[in-house]
Amino acid sequence: MVTLYPEKLINIITNDALEDKLVDSFRKYGVSGYTILRARGAGSSGRQADMTGFDANILVKVIMPEERMQNLLDSLERKIHKGYHLTVFITDIEVMTPGKFDKTLS
Amino acid sequence: MSSLSNLLLPAVLFFALGCIARLIKSDLRFPPDLAKVLSIYLLMAIGLHGGHELAKADLVIALNSIMWALILGFTLPIIGYLILLATRKVNPMDAAAISAHYGSVSAGTFLTAIAYLDSAGVDYESYPLIMLAVMESPAIIVGLILAAKARQSLRTDKSGLSPDGGTAGVNADDNNGGFGGLMRDALTNGSVVILIGSMIIGAISMPSGMEKLFPFIDDIFMGVLCLFLFEMGMVAARRLGDFRQVGWLLAAFGIVMPLIGGMVGVLVGYYILDFSVGGATLVAVLGSSASYIAVPPAMRLAVPEANPSFYLTLSLGITFPFNVMIGIPLYHGVVQSLAA
Repeated sequence: MVTLYPEKLINIITNDALEDKLVDSFRKYGVSGYTILRARGAGSSGRQADMTGFDANILVKVIMPEERMQNLLDSLERKIHKGYHLTVFITDIEVMTPGKFDKTLS
Repeated sequence: MSSLSNLLLPAVLFFALGCIARLIKSDLRFPPDLAKVLSIYLLMAIGLHGGHELAKADLVIALNSIMWALILGFTLPIIGYLILLATRKVNPMDAAAISAHYGSVSAGTFLTAIAYLDSAGVDYESYPLIMLAVMESPAIIVGLILAAKARQSLRTDKSGLSPDGGTAGVNADDNNGGFGGLMRDALTNGSVVILIGSMIIGAISMPSGMEKLFPFIDDIFMGVLCLFLFEMGMVAARRLGDFRQVGWLLAAFGIVMPLIGGMVGVLVGYYILDFSVGGATLVAVLGSSASYIAVPPAMRLAVPEANPSFYLTLSLGITFPFNVMIGIPLYHGVVQSLAA
């Protein structure tokens, strides 16, 4: 049996113009790593299906221990209050190597 | 008539084909990012070409063009902002973001105008190209200032909530990049770097080296422009679907504002800068066109309160097709009649 350890997965859907801004907060709030994917879809801000690459959406994934994610979530909430269109949802996951999520990005 | 000849340009016909492909729900899809790749090529080619020409240019005229490009870039958004507020259809934030698009320029429209002038055999100066590079940024800055003012007045409207102004508390953390950061972004924008960099390379390269590049920057240029407009036609047609969200009064702004900008451009190009018919037409196109590459991400970052579907629909779905199909021959016709 492989031992699995609980972690949280923070998912953020937003416009790619905000990528640098998000990455800055990740560094500031002790994230150990992140993954960014191009995304298409539709939602409260209309359809986001631009294939030109001029105005695309991204899906950002961050794995973090629950006890460390509050500061990051606060900063995301502040961004949403400022008017930025962020869709944030958090899921419970299990990982094989919890040590990877202890170090922060330098 | 000149307007018909514009519609029969291959590049414009491909734009129409792109629109039709979307409207008949064709499964035609271009690979992701192709438009971005093509626009990098187009900016690089036009920059090299223009820089090569500008090496022989008159410095005084060039500086004068730059000055007028700055004046246009700073005043057009303010005109647009006041008109938008007068329609009472958008809040000041949306008005600031939309008007920033109209003060900035669309390289796609400019290149279509060059294709139009080339096929009509009309000569034009290379100075409008420097103006194209210069005009990318000032409108972004004006948009940010207008938005900052609007934000401030909204905040004082909601007074009582934060007795001590409240500005510091909200913005201290989570830097908006600050005004300086956004200025830097506006000036180091990708299109500006490609355009100005290629112009410098074109200007200082050995003529023999430049000749080797002509197949790349001249011979295939119009073909690439066709491909680019083909895809932009699809993008514009999709945006036009959001028309209902925007409403007819705002949609009318997408046609009236380019006409105003175009006429201001005619005056500046023909009377003040004393350009030929072709050159003045290009200045008119600069005045009338609305950005859809550089400004939208800048506004998303700096004016998140504004609704992106307003400015994207207006600039891509209404103003761009209007300029490509009707505006360019119209401005050319106006300059011609002034010259006659």
